[in-house]
Amino acid sequence: MSDFLEITLDKFTFKVATDRFYSSEGVWVKEDKGRIRIGLSDFVQQHSGDVAFADVRPAGTTLAAGEDLANIETIKVNITYTCPVSGKIVEVNPSMNDAPEAINKDPYDAGWLALMEVADWDAERTRLLDPQAYFEIMVGQAEQETKKPS
Amino acid sequence: MKKNQKVIIVPCSGIGKAYGTVSREAAYDVTDELRPGQTQLVPLALLVMGDEESRAVVAGYPAITIDGCKLACAAKMVQQSGGTIAQEIAVLDVYRRHKDLKPLGIAELNKGGQKLARVLAEEVTSMVDGIITGKPGVENA
Repeated sequence: MSDFLEITLDKFTFKVATDRFYSSEGVWVKEDKGRIRIGLSDFVQQHSGDVAFADVRPAGTTLAAGEDLANIETIKVNITYTCPVSGKIVEVNPSMNDAPEAINKDPYDAGWLALMEVADWDAERTRLLDPQAYFEIMVGQAEQETKKPS
Repeated sequence: MKKNQKVIIVPCSGIGKAYGTVSREAAYDVTDELRPGQTQLVPLALLVMGDEESRAVVAGYPAITIDGCKLACAAKMVQQSGGTIAQEIAVLDVYRRHKDLKPLGIAELNKGGQKLARVLAEEVTSMVDGIITGKPGVENA
């Protein structure tokens, strides 16, 4: 089970799991038995709203870091998230087809997007943010959002 | 199942949100057009304000709640007002079954939103019929 860094702003509590790495846009990356599991942070899912559809690039797709990984349509927005690492998608979460709300319900576990094979994880992770670094960025983003009129 | 004379429809009050507008348009379709004699719309805002007449109506008849998002304010307020939720439905669940009907717009829905509201209204109507006749209606798949 993951431990979390968390902050409560206004009526919202945002959690950052401490057992993985992050991109600055809130895509998490976790090593899992030699492969890399990817998903969206709690802040991203709360900020984006209820997910209607999640269109993840299919298994077999090879992506370079920065290429489009998934398009997420929520009740508020339609956002494309880029892949934070280079590698090949070997599995897409089956829940994304019929129950994409898993992203909202359980962003750090059942709501994962894709499983990838990455050639050089040691090199890839040097380009990612550790949990504390992402937490600080996320707090800044969250504070900006809570200042906006709803 | 017990037969009922009237069903209360409580839609989302999400002003400024397309999904809230869809829920309200669907509620108007049901109460004004599809089943006018058997249904009554109770505005969520009146329940939030504690309006005694609205609370009494909700407490007296089975309700169908139409929520625009996972906060499920309509369902929560009906429960807090002493009402009985006969069935719940969420706009997002209906949209997931009709991906081509993406709702856009707030004061005025786009064509997709209008069609989605109609599909939702027809599902709610089926629920109303089930409650009135005592036969199960469409479940919120």
